[in-house]
Parts: sequence; structure tokens; C-alpha cells
Amino acid sequence: MVSYSFIKPRKKPLISAFSKIWILFISFVSLLLILFGLFLLFKIYSYKKDTVTITNERVALEKKINEKDDYMEYLLRQKSLGEEIFTRNTLLKDSMKNLFDLVPDKITLNRVIIKKDSLIIYGKTPTKDTFNFLLSAPLKSIFSTSNTIFYLTQNGWYNFVSTNKITSTDGFSE
Amino acid sequence: MNNVDRSLEKINYIKLLVYLFVFIFITLLLILILIVPNIKKYRLARGEYNQALVHKTRVQAVLNERDKELKKLKSDNWKIFNAYKHKFSNKEFSSFAKQFFDKVSLKEIKQISYKKEFKIYELNVTSSLKTPVKFYQFLDGLNRYDNMVQADFPIDLKSNGKLIYSSFEIKVYNLIQKKK
Repeated sequence: MVSYSFIKPRKKPLISAFSKIWILFISFVSLLLILFGLFLLFKIYSYKKDTVTITNERVALEKKINEKDDYMEYLLRQKSLGEEIFTRNTLLKDSMKNLFDLVPDKITLNRVIIKKDSLIIYGKTPTKDTFNFLLSAPLKSIFSTSNTIFYLTQNGWYNFVSTNKITSTDGFSE
Repeated sequence: MNNVDRSLEKINYIKLLVYLFVFIFITLLLILILIVPNIKKYRLARGEYNQALVHKTRVQAVLNERDKELKKLKSDNWKIFNAYKHKFSNKEFSSFAKQFFDKVSLKEIKQISYKKEFKIYELNVTSSLKTPVKFYQFLDGLNRYDNMVQADFPIDLKSNGKLIYSSFEIKVYNLIQKKK
């Protein structure tokens, strides 16, 4: 083959250096953007997964709170009943103390029957007036109805039966 | 060797402009297709996550508060709660009552249910005592007894001059079902 050139033929690059740089640059930026997009997708997936986990945990906690509330209510019922029992015992003690404090020295009690809404007292009094002034008056102020029957004894004293009733729903607590 | 490729030495501005446009076009396209919608989704997901986290933290705080309240309730009233669980024994109660009365006898009346959680034993107590003060002391002592006991009507006090014979009811409260 006859050569018409002084220099040897050299291969001409298909893509110029200028184009190569641009293509590389565009590819690199595109890759970065795609990677960033994938990173975002991964983060979205991760957040969604964590949100579901956290929501489930929250639901479990709420269930626990409900259980605790029920248990607390159960304990509070016990507490309030306990306090009611303590109050009733104390009230009963105070009621009995008040009743015995009401009785003057001159009057002797033989029997006392205390029911929820009534009080029956059996006793001895030197005179009817002593009973009426010293015991009957305060009893009448406490109870709705108060009836007393007297029996004269051989030594001149009186045996009495005093029946007192309360009509209110609270019952005997004075 | 490279003297053939003069593209870097002699820049073709048309080509440069074309590449620049291609670059801008591809970049914008990727941003619009891939980045912008995902950024929106990302923000939304992050917002939901943060909201869920705040919600959970609040619920956790409420739970901690409940735990604290429960602990306080238990420690403040441990005696009451233990009293419901303590098994009632006639022997134990008689020996307690003997601190105040001379003679004590117990008789079971009936057993009824109350509010599902509690069962109540009703007993009749007959005793003899020297002074009503002992009865007051007994009633005070009931509130410190190992069981939950309530003295109840009818109360019958009879005196023979030396001793007072008493007859009254007591209600003993026990828990039926056990919870945690």
C-alpha cells in the first residue's frame, strides 16, 4: 500500500477527551443523585418500619395503662371499703361512748340493745322526774320517737324500759 | 500522541453548550423524578415517626406516673390490702378479743358475697367485760387487727352488777379473687 502521508496513521478516538470528561461528569452527578434517591428511599422505609414498631409499642403501653387503671380501681375499692369499715368502727365506739356519757350517775342501766335504727334501754331510776330530765330529754333530741314505760319496784325506785327509734336512713350514729 | 485530539485545547462552544444543556436536563430530570417526590415522602415519614415517638413518650410518661401512683397507693395502704388477704381464724380472733374481754365465744352466722370481690363472714361474738371502756378499746383495736373486721349491730349489753355480758355481730371481709 502506498503511503501518501509523512506521518504514520494514528487512531482517532471515537469520543473526544472533552466529551469523555462531560460524560463522566454527567454520569458521576447522575450516580450521586441516584444514590441520594436510594438513600432517601431507604430512610423512608426505615422511618416507616420504626413508626410501625413505635406505634405497636405505644399500643402495648396503652394496654398496660388500662390494666394498671383497672388494678388501681380494684385497689381503690378495697381502700375505700377499708376506710368505711374503720370509720364505722370508730363511729360505733363514739356512739356508745356518747350514750354512756349521757347516763347520769343516779340512773343505773341493766341492759342496752343497740340496733341500726333503734335503742332500747332497761334500767333503774330513783324517780320518774330524774329520768325525764336527765336522760329522756337528751334521748328525745337524738331520736325521732322515744317512749318510756316505768314499773314501780318494792324499794320505791322505778324500773324503766326506754324505746327510742330513728326514722332517718343513716341509722343510729349519735 | 495526543496531538490529534485537540478537543481540550480548542473548545467547541457549541458542544460545550450542548453538554451543559444535557447535564442540566439530566440533573433536573433526576431531581424531579427521583429526589423531589422522595424528599416529600421522606419528610412525611419522618414527621409521622417523630409524631409516633412523641406520642409513645407521652404514653410512657403516663405509665410511669401510674406506676408511681400505684406504688404509693400500695405503700400507703399496705395494711388494708394485707388485711383482706389474711385468712380469718376464729382462734386468732378469740385470742385478740381476750385482750379486752374476759370470755369470748364466736359463732358463724352466714356467709354472703358482696360486690363480687369480697366475701363476708358474719359472726356473732358473745363476751363478758368489766367496764364499757374495754368495749371502746376493743373497737379501737379492731382497726389495727390483721383482718378487715367491722363490728355491727345489733349490740346487746346486759349487766348483772359485776360484769357486762355483750353480744354483737362482726363482719369479716376477705378477698375472693386474686389479681396480680
